Amino acid sequence: MTCEIPMPPTAGLGLKSQHYAEALDTAAEGLWFEVHPENYMAAGGPRLRWLEAIRARRPLSLHGVGLSLAADADPDHDHLAALKALADRFAPFVVSEHLAWSTHRGVHQPDLLPFPRTRDALERIAGNIGRTQDVLGRTILVENPSLYLPLTGHDFDEADFLIELTRRTGCGLLVDVNNVFVSASNLGYAAETYLDALPAEAIGEIHLAGHGVDEGGSALLIDTHAAPVAEAVWALYRRLVRRIGPRPTLIERDDDIPAFPVLMAERDRAHAELLEPAHA
Amino acid sequence: MPELQAFQDAFVSALAERTAAPIAAWLPEGEAEPAGLSVYRNTIAKGCVDALAANFPTMASLVGEDWFRAAAALFARQRPPHSAALLAYGEDFADWLARFPPAADLPYLPAMARLDRLWTTALFAPEAEPLAAEAFALEPEVLAGARPTLHPSLAFAGFDSGLPGLWLAARQPDPGEMALSPEPQAILIVRPADTVHSCVLDAAGLAFLTAVRDDATLGEAITAAAQADPHADLASLFAALIADGAFSGLDLGDNP
Repeated sequence: MTCEIPMPPTAGLGLKSQHYAEALDTAAEGLWFEVHPENYMAAGGPRLRWLEAIRARRPLSLHGVGLSLAADADPDHDHLAALKALADRFAPFVVSEHLAWSTHRGVHQPDLLPFPRTRDALERIAGNIGRTQDVLGRTILVENPSLYLPLTGHDFDEADFLIELTRRTGCGLLVDVNNVFVSASNLGYAAETYLDALPAEAIGEIHLAGHGVDEGGSALLIDTHAAPVAEAVWALYRRLVRRIGPRPTLIERDDDIPAFPVLMAERDRAHAELLEPAHA
Repeated sequence: MPELQAFQDAFVSALAERTAAPIAAWLPEGEAEPAGLSVYRNTIAKGCVDALAANFPTMASLVGEDWFRAAAALFARQRPPHSAALLAYGEDFADWLARFPPAADLPYLPAMARLDRLWTTALFAPEAEPLAAEAFALEPEVLAGARPTLHPSLAFAGFDSGLPGLWLAARQPDPGEMALSPEPQAILIVRPADTVHSCVLDAAGLAFLTAVRDDATLGEAITAAAQADPHADLASLFAALIADGAFSGLDLGDNP
């Protein structure tokens, strides 16, 4: 497995099982793939073999959704061991997780849940990131979540909290521009101000995805990953890349998954954006 | 208790009790029941139900999407996952269905879930190279004394009726009219390479694999199969199991 991180940074695509054959065959330049390691935490089977075959041709990113870094508990030993085994086997160019929690007192809630960003929480989460990095033997990127609740009791705004985590642990940031857009809309702040506060040198990857409206009838935007990337999110992306320069950028799609070429068209748009001479 | 822990206890209560009251201390005034809590609740439920739909596709196809999603959501609330690796979620779904009152009119349903579970488990089982027929080309007395190892993906189970046949029929693209045979039937599921293979196993096959699982020699297993069905074609049974990739090792004991 010799694929290294593409330089200059290029655009990738979330790998879906229904697209394995096309993902293996495509000749797209600079293409890389990202998967949720949780979907590959198995002893064996064709899913792992497909990933191995695709990894032999393409760089890979492992983007975790289940480590629960923001839980008030150590990262689950078995989960971390399974993540380490996948990282060792597939040699990803990046491993990332979320600034969120999902496991609580042994029960897993498959979502990325919010918390008050207190000093106490900062200590705990920095410790959890440090433990994760120690086990993996590498630094990770931490992604900003999409938020739906106007919680009080924060000691930090989210950008400052993330920056403090990078200072304390050496981790980098995965900036999900759609999450910034959704959270800013839901909680009533300016997405541009949030993005401008993130230091360029900490940002190692960017995510782009689609969102939808709340079918429950509220005014909330929902980070569904079930639609194309919105034009307003493309505009924020362009603004971010102009400021910080090109970064590996992923098109994420996890629901209502269209044909491979449809997703590749979105990926190619991000790819073209990264290759603009003004950013290089 | 640290505040993070207190918040997470309260948040989990708010999800379960379907009210924001437990997290009121962390909400601004005038936000007694924010819509966002339902968003998290719905996303969690969808994550669990989608995972169960992926892991129990035959059972889901038999009851239809609405029934399945309603039942799966209730199961997820009563038996939430304990691991983020949801490909293994639903270990006790079949047992839960057997005690789920709305499923009382569908007595075949827990077996369909159990068979789906066997299939999904085989899909993600450890890899092993299946033994080819050549590995069994031995002197008759050496072969009779050898103990085969079942492939790590192999599962088999006996049923009081034709539930395995019903399950196999329901997995066809266009199942049409399906009937449940009253005769006892067994299932064999194995994934020697990339594809999960499943077929009905007869009484001789069930007795043979049960004996092998219980560490019998091939001679003992063949005897058990002949006792289960004196008319069985044991040579064909053994050849079919080898062709299915049912064995991954053969311990020759003192006869290497």
